[in-house]
Amino acid sequence: MLSIKDLHATVDGKEILKGINLEVNPGEIHAIMGPNGSGKSTLASVLAGRDNYEVTSGSVTYRDQDLLDMEPEIRAREGVFLAFQYPVEIPGVTNVYLLKAAINAVLKHRGEEELDAMSFLKLIKQKAALVEMKQEFLYRSVNGGFSGGEKKRNEILQMALLEPHLSILDETDSGLDIDALKIVAHGVNALRNDQRSMILVTHYQRLLDYIVPDYVHVLAGGVIIRSGDKSLALELEEKGYGWIESQADAA
Amino acid sequence: MTGMTEITEYYARQYHRLAENLPGQGTEWIKAYRHSRLSRFKTTGFPTTREEDWRYTSVRPITSREFSAIDASQPVEPDLWNSDQHLIEGLDSYRLVFVDGVLRTGLSDISPEDGVRVDSMANVLNERPDSIQHHFDLEQTEESHGFTELNRAFSKDGVVVELGSNVALEKPIELLFLSAGGESLAQPRNLIIAREGCKGQIMERYLSVREGASLTNSLSEVVLEHGAEVDYYLIQGQSSEACQVSGIWATQASESRFSCRTITLGGALVRNELKSRMLGVGAHCDMFGLYSLSGKQHVDNHTTMVHGAPGCTSNELYKGVLNQRSRGVFHGRIKVERDAQKTDAQQSNNTLLLSRNAEIDTKPQLEIYADDVKCSHGATVGQIDDVSLFYLRTRGISESDARSLLTFAFVNDVLNEIEIEPLKTLLESMLSNQLIDDQ
Repeated sequence: MLSIKDLHATVDGKEILKGINLEVNPGEIHAIMGPNGSGKSTLASVLAGRDNYEVTSGSVTYRDQDLLDMEPEIRAREGVFLAFQYPVEIPGVTNVYLLKAAINAVLKHRGEEELDAMSFLKLIKQKAALVEMKQEFLYRSVNGGFSGGEKKRNEILQMALLEPHLSILDETDSGLDIDALKIVAHGVNALRNDQRSMILVTHYQRLLDYIVPDYVHVLAGGVIIRSGDKSLALELEEKGYGWIESQADAA
Repeated sequence: MTGMTEITEYYARQYHRLAENLPGQGTEWIKAYRHSRLSRFKTTGFPTTREEDWRYTSVRPITSREFSAIDASQPVEPDLWNSDQHLIEGLDSYRLVFVDGVLRTGLSDISPEDGVRVDSMANVLNERPDSIQHHFDLEQTEESHGFTELNRAFSKDGVVVELGSNVALEKPIELLFLSAGGESLAQPRNLIIAREGCKGQIMERYLSVREGASLTNSLSEVVLEHGAEVDYYLIQGQSSEACQVSGIWATQASESRFSCRTITLGGALVRNELKSRMLGVGAHCDMFGLYSLSGKQHVDNHTTMVHGAPGCTSNELYKGVLNQRSRGVFHGRIKVERDAQKTDAQQSNNTLLLSRNAEIDTKPQLEIYADDVKCSHGATVGQIDDVSLFYLRTRGISESDARSLLTFAFVNDVLNEIEIEPLKTLLESMLSNQLIDDQ
């Protein structure tokens, strides 16, 4: 699905990613944890194609294609989805308009027929129920006046609608209370199958109680310093990031 | 400035040549009126950038040419009119079509409802001038400039609309002004009288039907009696060589509501002067504006809200999208007279600059002589937000579509004020074509 090899990236001339290697197979969920400033969100942004990040070396192969060579919208249409840490408010564009434009862009790219108004509405109602989103939110401006939890649920709604092959969830748990976290996790788990892969970027272990990962990686100083299974997350929760960073320094 | 005197003289000569045949010239007061307006025009001349109200707008594109009024006795060339191109699809209206400022009855539908009277200004001046003498006598002279006086001196054609007491107009009255290029001069003069408790929609729409320079110098006066409600639309879509100076001046009695939407999508040089004088208690005025320009277009929106009585409210929102080397000017004046307590006046102007070379000059001007008032004004100038653009692209939307979408979203609150659906649909498609062309 995704193969990241020796990825280096800079922001404003400063190197943030210093040689990331990561293999994600179909159906796998990988959690990327790490302290603040370790490069987690930069990795998510680079994968989605944000243009103020410059990849200086390395490669990212996604379903046998060079991901870094694609514009952000092409990545999205090819099935890469980024759930934003801070979803953007877009006054004047209704949520339902964005959702329809997004799904039709993807369908068109695949050479499939675009959805008419009726079938789209039927589909979106079904998806909205999955994240317990009230209908009225569909007709409000994108994220306009949404609470933190509502914004994150809206990200999952978009993801559920687009059914991506690879989802990257950037700190989706941040700012969520426990009820909202459960709803979000339920939405994500409903999408889980043996073909879809996910990368969960998170600071805390808590999310991983609800979305159980196959692998956990610890990112610090722009490199993955440790990989393991879900028990690594529990260990981190107990001992803190300092523990693993000092181990890495010693090695 | 060289040529300024000459060009003033040029229009004075044109006036004298046509004067004999101007409508109503046989009536003594009309003749005297025109005469005094012309001499005022000769004294003031055309405005220059040395005047504060014209500081950001040079009228050189107008004064450097000699525009002339067309011969109204000639029939309209048949190929000028194309109903598919010139009509708004799906709009059912009472339509009056003017070509270069002359009403063409053959293209018009002057068959209004009971209680509504629609007539050409030329007819009224010829046949029943006394019915409007009162309005000519009372007209606002204090802040007039050369363009206003030139329009008044000619007072050639246009429309006189009277909405009777408590009439609710079933369809909009659509005044369609076509310019045929060829350095033609059109000077429509309109008078709208909205009697007590009436309600109606009136639209002025300006189009060019041929390429080439033209000048439209229009003046519309709207008189609202107690409780009258008028929704007004000024829709400008002339060619990139056309110049337009447009005045819409309202006088509002108590409890009346005047709401004007000014949409400018075309023209080389456009100057709009909107003014409302709220003279009765509890009057309300809205002014909404949208301008979307490219190339070297220049649009100057000059608005004046006069709160002349207690408890009046006004709301003003102008939004602009400027591309390439286009330039926008917004000057919003709010004047609160001494006894206009409990005034509530809001004003804002927001502009999106899509190019490095585009420019906006925005200037609020508040003059407040009362002490119990709520007035606010604000202006913003910005660009398309990169993060929003990226967000949309990560949802599969192409960069150019995302830009259009964000631009539309920016002007959406003004578009939503357009209550004539077929017009809104037309403007949306014009705007989106414009955005695609500009990319």
